[in-house]
Amino acid sequence: MNPVVAADGLAHAYAAARALDGLSFAVPAGELYGLVGADGAGKTTALRILAGLIVPQRGTARVAGLDPADAGSGVRESLGYMPQRYSLYGDLSVAENLRFFARLFCLSRAVYAERSARLLAITRLERFAERPAQQLSGGMYKKLALACALLHRPRVLLLDEPTNGVDPVSRLDLWQLLYEFVAEGMAVVVSTPYMDEAERCHRVGLVHHGRLLLEGEPQTLVAAFPESVLRVVGAAERAEAVLERAGADVVAVAPLGGALRVVVRRDAVAALAAALAAEGAGVETLRPSFEDLFLVRAAAGASPGEAAA
Amino acid sequence: MSAPGRLRRFAIRTGAVAAKEATHAVRDPRTLYLALGMPVVLLVIFGFGISFDVEDVPIAVVDQDRTPDSRALERSLTTGHEFVVAARPDDPAEVDRLFRERTVSAALVVPRGFAREWAAGRRAPVQLLVDGSDGVGAQSVLGNASAALRAEGRRRLAAETGGAAAPLAAEVRLLFNPALRSAVFFVPGLIAYILYIVGVLLTALTIAREQERGNLEQLFATPVGRLEVMLGKLLPYLALGLLQALLVLAFGMAVFEMPLRGSLGVLGLGTLLFLAGALAQGLFISSVAGSQQVATQAGALSSLLPGVLLSGFVFPVENMPLLLRALASVFPARYYVDLLRGVMLRGNGFDALWGDFLGLGVFCLAAVALATLGFRRRLA
Amino acid sequence: MTRAGLGAVVRKELRQIGRDRRLLPMLIFAPLVQLMVFGHAVSFDIDNVDVAVCDLDDSAASRTLARRLVADGTFQPVGPLPDCTRPEQALLDGRADVAVLFPAGLERDLAAGRPVEVQVLVDGTNPTIGRFASVAAQAFLDARAAELQRERLAGLRSAQGFERPVPTLTVQSRLFYNPRMQSAIFMVPGVAAMLLLLITTVGTAMGIARERELGTLEQVMVTPLRPAELILGKVAPFVLVGLLDVVVALVVSSWMFDVPIRGSLLVVFAGTLLYLLSTVGLGLFISTVSSSQQQAFMVGFFVMMPAILLSGFMTPVENMPDWLQPIAWVNPVRYYVEVLRGALLKAAGFRDLGLQFGALAAFGTTILAASIVRFRKRLA
Repeated sequence: MNPVVAADGLAHAYAAARALDGLSFAVPAGELYGLVGADGAGKTTALRILAGLIVPQRGTARVAGLDPADAGSGVRESLGYMPQRYSLYGDLSVAENLRFFARLFCLSRAVYAERSARLLAITRLERFAERPAQQLSGGMYKKLALACALLHRPRVLLLDEPTNGVDPVSRLDLWQLLYEFVAEGMAVVVSTPYMDEAERCHRVGLVHHGRLLLEGEPQTLVAAFPESVLRVVGAAERAEAVLERAGADVVAVAPLGGALRVVVRRDAVAALAAALAAEGAGVETLRPSFEDLFLVRAAAGASPGEAAA
Repeated sequence: MSAPGRLRRFAIRTGAVAAKEATHAVRDPRTLYLALGMPVVLLVIFGFGISFDVEDVPIAVVDQDRTPDSRALERSLTTGHEFVVAARPDDPAEVDRLFRERTVSAALVVPRGFAREWAAGRRAPVQLLVDGSDGVGAQSVLGNASAALRAEGRRRLAAETGGAAAPLAAEVRLLFNPALRSAVFFVPGLIAYILYIVGVLLTALTIAREQERGNLEQLFATPVGRLEVMLGKLLPYLALGLLQALLVLAFGMAVFEMPLRGSLGVLGLGTLLFLAGALAQGLFISSVAGSQQVATQAGALSSLLPGVLLSGFVFPVENMPLLLRALASVFPARYYVDLLRGVMLRGNGFDALWGDFLGLGVFCLAAVALATLGFRRRLA
Repeated sequence: MTRAGLGAVVRKELRQIGRDRRLLPMLIFAPLVQLMVFGHAVSFDIDNVDVAVCDLDDSAASRTLARRLVADGTFQPVGPLPDCTRPEQALLDGRADVAVLFPAGLERDLAAGRPVEVQVLVDGTNPTIGRFASVAAQAFLDARAAELQRERLAGLRSAQGFERPVPTLTVQSRLFYNPRMQSAIFMVPGVAAMLLLLITTVGTAMGIARERELGTLEQVMVTPLRPAELILGKVAPFVLVGLLDVVVALVVSSWMFDVPIRGSLLVVFAGTLLYLLSTVGLGLFISTVSSSQQQAFMVGFFVMMPAILLSGFMTPVENMPDWLQPIAWVNPVRYYVEVLRGALLKAAGFRDLGLQFGALAAFGTTILAASIVRFRKRLA
């Protein structure tokens, strides 16, 4: 594997808090890599370092083999970045925003015309080309920001929570687009707080308190999950008392709609299910998901050195 | 597709930023109208409103002598348009109250026995009291009143000698501004002051705003360089500034009958340098301020003060203490005021004004350099 | 709820001001810097007028005259004129402000009792200096003429056997409140008024425009907080900072520049509070007519600059033409400057300043009411 994106021992602290604490990962060409973690885990800082917007206090970042903070090296030509904040010019139209970024990358008129037409087509923004960016819906805005980041055909695309504030249909669109780019050989790094989205990535890295807890292909990771998952409905207080008594056998509990999602040690699941049923609660076995994995790992605390290859 | 050369890439990116900045300006017509209309309106208001010419100043006359001689003294003050008698208290102690209520600005006190003293060939004293709380006014009132009284003294003495001509007389000729109109003096200063402040204001918020709105995050991930951003932001506002300058100068000449005795080329080049410097100062403030609120305060402070005080617009720089003179020579307003007066009133050319051009040029370059260096291409 | 909500907004605003490491120094140091500069820079003393002399007579009498011309330091000699046929050249290239030409035959004519005319050329570019220089030159020659006249008269009378001596008119002038014409003494009220206006008006206008720009205003408006509470909460910190600045200005100016505090501090602070009502109301009003911080800033300046320059703090309000007088009538800065000057320098009390207090109260309540109505309408 020859990585196009490489983060090695990144550490960075702001005045108020530590954001990264030795984060390392690498992404080869043609891979869609997901940085997954709760808000404040350090995802945005990691992406900003890779985009050259922050110089890390420790560790090194490489994009296409170059230091992203070194503007003179031409690294920015191989890098596309889409920030989480609204960063386009709201009073400029869709077409004007695209043209502005095309010119910053010094694309010729012909190249700009061809690429923007294609990008507007695949993002289905053609009809809105003349609309000011501030009047776009959340999903359309993100697609425009994506188009602006793609105009110069970067080898590496960094997306900070691209689906945040986007409706489910547009979300699917966005992922579909990303798969197309990856198929063409682009390396894509996506950050997201949504565990269900993690399963859409080729590989994911679970970020917690500024370091990687776990890394691997989502399906493999979930398949290797050693515990069982139960859905417990009804008899709320008594069910909770049972779970309380079970002690270490219950690994994690999270609310799930009106019910509880309970991660239980596999050898204790039968006994616990029976106890819960005896109290009158409905019990159902669920297929483990990525979210369970995260819950367990985060609950276990950020013990270092757990990142599996 | 061949990659464009270094210089060409620089030009393309600078042009892109400039075009974007111009679009912002055009999309916000209210700001645009304000930027173009404000200088003209301010010039007219200030041009007429700021005046050191004092007329019809209300005075009090305390005539304790009540003789034809004392009345002649009073007449010597009121024959011109300078003074109007607004109160006639009997007691000089009343004058303090009149000053406090702002009824009068000065008072003439003719003590009892004035005519007797004069007739006896002794010293005949009169008192002139002036409200000194109002700086400029007090100075003019004092000067005018004592000049009028001195003239009266001379007239009386001449009458004693049988009306012979004065043995020694001054023939005073005023050059460049014979009517001593305040406007002729102020308008160049006002033009500099207004263009300076509006220039700094135009750019002071541009970078801080992009910072606040998050625009810089996506911009910084592109290959655009700091100097490209700075020049790109400078150019459209320079065009706007020149339009402003043209309007203001045209108005100044039309409304206040300002002459233009020197060359248009000298005026144009000086204006260009001055505007570029003011705009770059705004950019510098914007790039280090971090927020629009700080940029506002810093922009206001750094243009208002040097514009009014350290430019020679009202108060001559030469009379200031050394430290302030040094401070004044940092800011471009002083050079531009000097240049405008030189080229408009005196008809000076490059030979007399090279010092001003040097000052303007150095400031302009330094401001662009500082703005570029102060603009950190990083997020905090 | 009401008081708790208000307190929460005030605390949030204070925290935001305190957290911005650049804003707070700006709000505290700005007044200090302004005060220093105004106190030192503004000088109305014109004490060195550069004079170039051309002595075509080159006699004992003309040399004595030339020496006595520069004796009291009003005129500063800058060497003889290089070319007596073109005396205006020295004025043109700025070497001198005044050129004096003593004609050939001066001594001879004086001795023979023939009137002598001395030419005085004055650069009128700056009317203040021009007027001062021409008056001073005139006064100098007048005094010499009077001396000669008196000598002659005395000679005449003793020849005729008269006993009566020659009388003199003496003018004793006295400047009230600021006898040495220290600029700081009349500048401090103006600076204080300007600072309060800058900080509270711009602060309020920008603060609310900022919330609107960032969309936080919408979020706050869905809470049970009432508009008046939000407004009060937003302006209270600026009022506090403003009051603090007034205290700083008073302390520094009385300590550094010997500015007296002759009247009651109660009058000063009552006036300040009424004035703050107006400035805050003005800022609020500006925020209701602007949609971005840049606009608020520009409109704010557009309103504030005439308000400051036409407040009488540099040039007397009475000098303004009639059509501009209405601006002076509704200008709160003018009334506040009058209150401060009255209270600090003239020991004026509430009774003397009734008009000013009334005007400030009227302006403040009107603008505040108008802007709260507009503010509500914009939210609805």
